[in-house]
Amino acid sequence: MPEPLLDHVVLERLERLTIHWKQSLPGLVGGHNTSRFAGAGQEFLDHRHFHQGDDLRAVNWRAFLRLEKLFLKMFQLEPRIPVRLLLDISRSMETGNPSKFDYTRQLAAALCYVGLVRLDSIALQPFSGKLHDAFLASGGRHRFQPAVNFLSALKSGGKTDFLGVARQFISEYPQRGLVAVISDFLDDADCEKPLQYLADFGHEMILVQVWADEDREPPWNGELELEDAETGHKIELAFDAEARAQYTAAFDEHCDHLQRIALRNNGRYVGVPTSVPIEQAIFTSLIRSETLV
Amino acid sequence: MQFLNLSLGELLGLVGGISAAVVALYLLDRSKRRQIVSTLHFWAASDVRTDLRHRRKIQQPWSLILQLISLALLLTAIAGPRLGVFDGGGRNLVVILDTSAYMGASAGTGGTGGRRTTLMDEAKALARAYVRSLPSRDNVMLVRADALATPATAFESNRQVVEDAIRFSQAQASALNLGQAFEFAQRAQKQAQRSGEIVFAGAGRVGTSESGLAAPSNLRVLNVASTQDNVGLRKIGARRRPGAPDTWDILVAVRNYGTQTRAVNLELQFAKSPAGSARMTLKAGAEQEAAFAYKSKVAGYLEVRLDSRDAFPQDDRAILELPPQTALRVAVYSNEPQLLRPLFGANPAVEAVFDSPANFDPAVKADLVVLDRFAPPMAPRTNSIWIEPPASGSPVSVRETRKAVKLERWRPDSVLGEGLRTQDATLDSAESFTPAPSDQVVAEGGGGALVVARIAETNGRAIKLVAIGFHPGRAPMKYELATPLLIANILRWMTPDAFRRLELQADTVGTVTVPLEKDVQAANVRVLDEKQRPLPFTIDNGTLRFFSGAPGAVRVEMGDREMVYSLTLPDVAETVWQIPAGVRRGVPRAAPVSAAATDVWPWLAVLGGLGLLADWLLFGRSRAFRMRASRMVTPLASRMAARVSMWRKAS
Repeated sequence: MPEPLLDHVVLERLERLTIHWKQSLPGLVGGHNTSRFAGAGQEFLDHRHFHQGDDLRAVNWRAFLRLEKLFLKMFQLEPRIPVRLLLDISRSMETGNPSKFDYTRQLAAALCYVGLVRLDSIALQPFSGKLHDAFLASGGRHRFQPAVNFLSALKSGGKTDFLGVARQFISEYPQRGLVAVISDFLDDADCEKPLQYLADFGHEMILVQVWADEDREPPWNGELELEDAETGHKIELAFDAEARAQYTAAFDEHCDHLQRIALRNNGRYVGVPTSVPIEQAIFTSLIRSETLV
Repeated sequence: MQFLNLSLGELLGLVGGISAAVVALYLLDRSKRRQIVSTLHFWAASDVRTDLRHRRKIQQPWSLILQLISLALLLTAIAGPRLGVFDGGGRNLVVILDTSAYMGASAGTGGTGGRRTTLMDEAKALARAYVRSLPSRDNVMLVRADALATPATAFESNRQVVEDAIRFSQAQASALNLGQAFEFAQRAQKQAQRSGEIVFAGAGRVGTSESGLAAPSNLRVLNVASTQDNVGLRKIGARRRPGAPDTWDILVAVRNYGTQTRAVNLELQFAKSPAGSARMTLKAGAEQEAAFAYKSKVAGYLEVRLDSRDAFPQDDRAILELPPQTALRVAVYSNEPQLLRPLFGANPAVEAVFDSPANFDPAVKADLVVLDRFAPPMAPRTNSIWIEPPASGSPVSVRETRKAVKLERWRPDSVLGEGLRTQDATLDSAESFTPAPSDQVVAEGGGGALVVARIAETNGRAIKLVAIGFHPGRAPMKYELATPLLIANILRWMTPDAFRRLELQADTVGTVTVPLEKDVQAANVRVLDEKQRPLPFTIDNGTLRFFSGAPGAVRVEMGDREMVYSLTLPDVAETVWQIPAGVRRGVPRAAPVSAAATDVWPWLAVLGGLGLLADWLLFGRSRAFRMRASRMVTPLASRMAARVSMWRKAS
């Protein structure tokens, strides 16, 4: 039996949370987030004129007695929309201590458990250069263990190709929904275009960037021979404190860029270093960004 | 220039090794490292220096040179360099300081404030003067010599350590063993190189066997003039008189060590009361003994005093602790005490109390209880002799009671039957016993055991009893010599401590020789000090020898004989060592101090420290400072740039 990714204390605290989305997305009734769509809901939304064929149970009879016109009450629909967790399992996620890959699996497990508790449908979709086999978790918390087994069995490898993955995702998942991308976003190519592609298709986007401390502030000094974990390319350079500051500034600029992409498309951005304990990342960073409420 | 701590080769090797290690660490610190990173995107995009022009070269060479020079200076300082004329002829000298007992003799009023000085003070002054006269490069070992040669220091170049050891030296209680001290000094010099002189400082009073002792060729003598005029106690012995245990026979031996006839008064005091006195006239070199008898049953201190008024008063007084007289208490319960009274009243060490069997007390305060032809309802709680006990209450089961029993034999293998003989002894009436397997049969007759001895365990205490099947106070045993011997054997077997012969002796510290009696077995001999710890001893040709280097009491136990040696008298050697001709004497002239010898290690250490400090200030601290500054300035600059861009957009 694989080792649990999250202990039971964290799981008990997660039961009080809910995956939150902002956009009004179409879906089956039974969700827990409001939308601008009218339908069979509990909350009153608006009135409209009665048309033939409308359900007489929704007629506002008080208004008819006063105005002698038939008005129909409309209610707010709370749809159940699909939640897709895109997990980066490329080789670059192996770096760091603890590795970003393990950290990503723990974050995915936490979001999956929160969704299952609220009866959401969660698709765990690993990717590197392409989409790998997904796991669909739905039907309540008792389906959490298969999801954990799936996450535990994941192997890292491959090179990240966000553009190819975005195209494949849109073709395989035509229904709009909530897309949470958990990655280090350290693709050599610019990831703005594929992320914008996903947003333009109508998905609500949550970008969870996971980085190791050495990704942001390399601790090494002197002459270095650096090898790219994904491509195997090498460069040799001299590195000192001044260069480290410049490197960190460039990395922070990259993070700001990701945040701007997310905010521009009405999405959210969460940046989490792996040195932060996973409980703190869940109950502080994800809640502060309103990914979980 | 010379080095005190390291040779030049060792220094060069050390500097070379550490310099190589420093350079290796320096290059390792600046060598290329391989790292796997998530992406090369930021490394290439940021303004990281990717030119490796200095990769194969040493960076900051001045830092490395400064570090190497500083380390070399520090190591040279550790080597202890001295500027001056190089002189590698430092010698290893041994100073033997006489700490024998006689060094405590008075040397007159030469001290400060009219204080009386001793020979020890003079010898210490001479030794100190000699040490101060030596060149500083010489090493000195101080050896304290009395009966044993004991090194007080190793070969020490620090004169203060040697002088402290001289100052703390004191006269001991044993005589000087000069031959052993010379041998020790020669052996110590043989192990060290560049040997120098062996110096003897002291009076040189030795035993007669060492009066003509040959001197080592490199000997120097710092002689302390001493007077030979001394009369002292040589030995004191005290033991209880065998026929009258309440009387002490005291023997005092006095010796005249001087060269003239002396008349002295000898006084004895017991418990501060006069116990005897004698006027003795001793010829030169003669030893005379005086005998005293003193009657006392109680314990006390016997003080022997000699009014010789010589220069060595330490051997004019001695004290012996005399123990009280102990008697064996015997309670005899008999209806016919007149039969047993001669048997127990003949021994002066026995106090017999006679009483009727009707007054028997099982808890009577006695060392031995005699039960004459009766069996008490409760057995006595101490050792007991049962004479013809009734069959119903006998501790040893009675086999039968018969008339006209012939005492066939005494068992010689039994301790109680040793030396007992009877011939054709026929008892009118006697009980024969059936002994247990652990019992000792002492006498046999009539087909059974007539005398049986037993050791019984009661409340963890061994209680001895003897059952006698006939009455020893009646005919025909009344007239046999074996009867009192049997009683004596029984008493000695039951309470051996009460019959142990005690001899006390005040003797001199050192090797003590004890003549042994013929029948003493080595396995029964024990030599114990004051804390009852065993001392090593040897037995050779009927003589026991042991050594005690410090004053104190030593007990020698030999079966039924015990000797207590109070080793409080100082061991004064008889003669003065005759210094052979050709031996150097006196303190030599002080060697001139080499003015050019100057320690330079403090300057080198300071220079080395300053070099390392300069390296840190010029290279180390600036790196750390740049790192901190860049961390502070970069976020500030980015925030400023962001605000400027926002202001531009707003405008």
